[in-house]
Amino acid sequence: MTGWRARWMFSVVCTLASAIACDRESATPSAGPTADSAAAATEDGNASPTEAPSMIELLADLPALPTHWVADPPVAADAPPVDDAMLRSPFADPSRWLHYGGDYRGYRHSPIRSLNPKSVSKLQVAWAMPTGTQQQFEVSPIVYGGVMYVSSSYNRLFALDAKTGELLWRYDHPQPADLRACCGPVNRGVAIAGNSILMATLDARLVALDRRSGALLWNREIIEYGRGYSATSAPFVVGKRAIIGVAGGEYGIRGFFDAYDVDTGERLWRHYTIPAAGEPGVETWAGRSYETGGAPAWSQGAYDPETDTLFWTTGNPAPDFNGDERAGDNLFSNSLLAVDPATGLRKWHFQFTPHDVWDFDGNTQIYLVDVEIDEQKIPVVAQANRNGYFYLIDRRDGKFLRATQYVEQMNWATIDADGRPVVGPDVWPTEEPSHRVCPGNMGGMNGAWSGSFDPARGLAFIPAIEACQHFVKGIAVYSEGAPFLAGTPDTIDAAARKAYGHVSAIDVATGEIRWRAEDRFPMMAGAVSTAGGVVFTGNLEGEALALDADTGKVLWRFRMGGGVRSQPIVFELGGRPYLAIGSGSWATTDAFLAGLDKIPEGGHLFVFTLPES
Amino acid sequence: MHEFPQRAIVARARAFGLLLGIGIALGCSAPESPAARHAKEPDSLKRGKGLFVGTCGAYCHGLQPGNRDAPYLFDCEWKHGSSDQEIFDVIRAGVPQTRMQGFADRLPEGDEDIWRLVAFLKSRSSC
Repeated sequence: MTGWRARWMFSVVCTLASAIACDRESATPSAGPTADSAAAATEDGNASPTEAPSMIELLADLPALPTHWVADPPVAADAPPVDDAMLRSPFADPSRWLHYGGDYRGYRHSPIRSLNPKSVSKLQVAWAMPTGTQQQFEVSPIVYGGVMYVSSSYNRLFALDAKTGELLWRYDHPQPADLRACCGPVNRGVAIAGNSILMATLDARLVALDRRSGALLWNREIIEYGRGYSATSAPFVVGKRAIIGVAGGEYGIRGFFDAYDVDTGERLWRHYTIPAAGEPGVETWAGRSYETGGAPAWSQGAYDPETDTLFWTTGNPAPDFNGDERAGDNLFSNSLLAVDPATGLRKWHFQFTPHDVWDFDGNTQIYLVDVEIDEQKIPVVAQANRNGYFYLIDRRDGKFLRATQYVEQMNWATIDADGRPVVGPDVWPTEEPSHRVCPGNMGGMNGAWSGSFDPARGLAFIPAIEACQHFVKGIAVYSEGAPFLAGTPDTIDAAARKAYGHVSAIDVATGEIRWRAEDRFPMMAGAVSTAGGVVFTGNLEGEALALDADTGKVLWRFRMGGGVRSQPIVFELGGRPYLAIGSGSWATTDAFLAGLDKIPEGGHLFVFTLPES
Repeated sequence: MHEFPQRAIVARARAFGLLLGIGIALGCSAPESPAARHAKEPDSLKRGKGLFVGTCGAYCHGLQPGNRDAPYLFDCEWKHGSSDQEIFDVIRAGVPQTRMQGFADRLPEGDEDIWRLVAFLKSRSSC
């Protein structure tokens, strides 16, 4: 063969061989008809008239389900607008529950006495309601004017008759498909002010709806969610300001919390939790690490009307588990901040866990308590921190007073006289860790649920996790909107089914643990207590629980189905007491923290009451 | 009349077969996956683990099996294909309508880092 003939022959053979060999590799199973091929089935793209339409095609012809029902005529229209006096004294009328934290002090403690150790065994279901959504149902409902306002995962908001459960109006916030929610599509509740119900959303917006009709009043973007932001907590109303912080500590955001005018949605101020270049505190971040330093503000604060001071807490620095590029204390991550609510300017701060590499967000619930120390009455902020210590901080100036261990297993650090952790040598994340670190990254206590404080008994009731972990260090890769953790907790206790939980009754004045009520699995639901001497909470096995406030003895339990992650509340209507508590958890966190694998899914709200006497 | 000698036919058929084989071997045989190359390099596997632990493994895909919404990736059960290329494509492009974002060019060393991730996933898998 001549040269060109040989080359032509080789080319033909190779092409043929390619067709044979490569076609075999590309022959993947069909994923079904493409849009083009389906449209080509008939000229007009519809099903052939000779073929009966399939069920899917019939369903496709139905109109889209509505996502917003309004009440017409309006409901609870005779109830006056919620004013400042009501918000300052929310339990003056026991038919109300107006704040996530129960009151401005964050006590979640009701003056209701009819729910007591003698009565709670008689609790019965008054009504129940499915949310139609999956994953964590973490709500703390609001009750006002005989209406209960309940938000579920994915920001569905329901207005329900608090006595009968009748659905009055509903708003499903439209969500984009690419949310940046590290830890589930959570919402922990709404706020009420005037005639508005305020809800923060997973796509980092704040919306206001008319409490009487459900009509949308305004819808304001907090920040672009695609940069790694979301908002999951209930807004906190002080006067005419709705205060809301952002989540996103796992995405390398720059954290902040904002105040918005409740009537207009106008932003009044923004408090960044990480200083900018040139500002005090930026020297606690190596290089330019402050630009992606996290420090979210995703939980609730408290308010002291006497000193007109707002207290807010912050979360972990980013990346979570590798601090090499952010040497320093990383202010103001994991901190308690005292702020002027009119301006958002900081008065003082206290940092719980400087240079955190264990994801110990400092944002668990805070209680404004007056305690007697050395025969002096001192106004304090009390907190069961995620790092396993129960803190007392002087709320006049941020001075550290005391930290006591409230978890059973603790080895990450001791706390020195100034409140600074003295970190153990073996607890830092490494590439191949072998040291079991306690508590694990979710605590202890966690900002995703609440505790309560009984002022008569001086006891804080704290649901908590007992689970230790290996902390694995990874490579830090920042890309806007992508996870930025640089490591992972290896959940060894959960995998070995060694994780468990408890509610601890902590004497706030002394730090002493008065009693512990243990549970087989981590306790990750909130708490509410009553003047009658009962603490309500729930467990991951789906039980609502009533505990004796003096002893921790379980007085009543009711299996609701899904694991309990909600914040129970109590209220009174027509002389009868009611308990509202939601069930519904998220397989990911249950597996992560407890090693659970049999998890009923779906949110469900239960409301219990006592029989008519 | 021109006769086509039988020997010539056999010779040409042999040549055709030889060339076909060469063609397959040279032009069309699948090259070694970059992941397979990285799997032979301890430093590459170490970096793959560091990237997995740092970016994929904390609140999404865990190091321990369990009932999570993001799949456990070390049990050889692949939802979107088990070949190196298919796993690479999922990491690069993501999975629509899920929390799995595409990492595209976000990793410091681009596609090579994605291949290191694939190598680490395969090396740690226990079927």
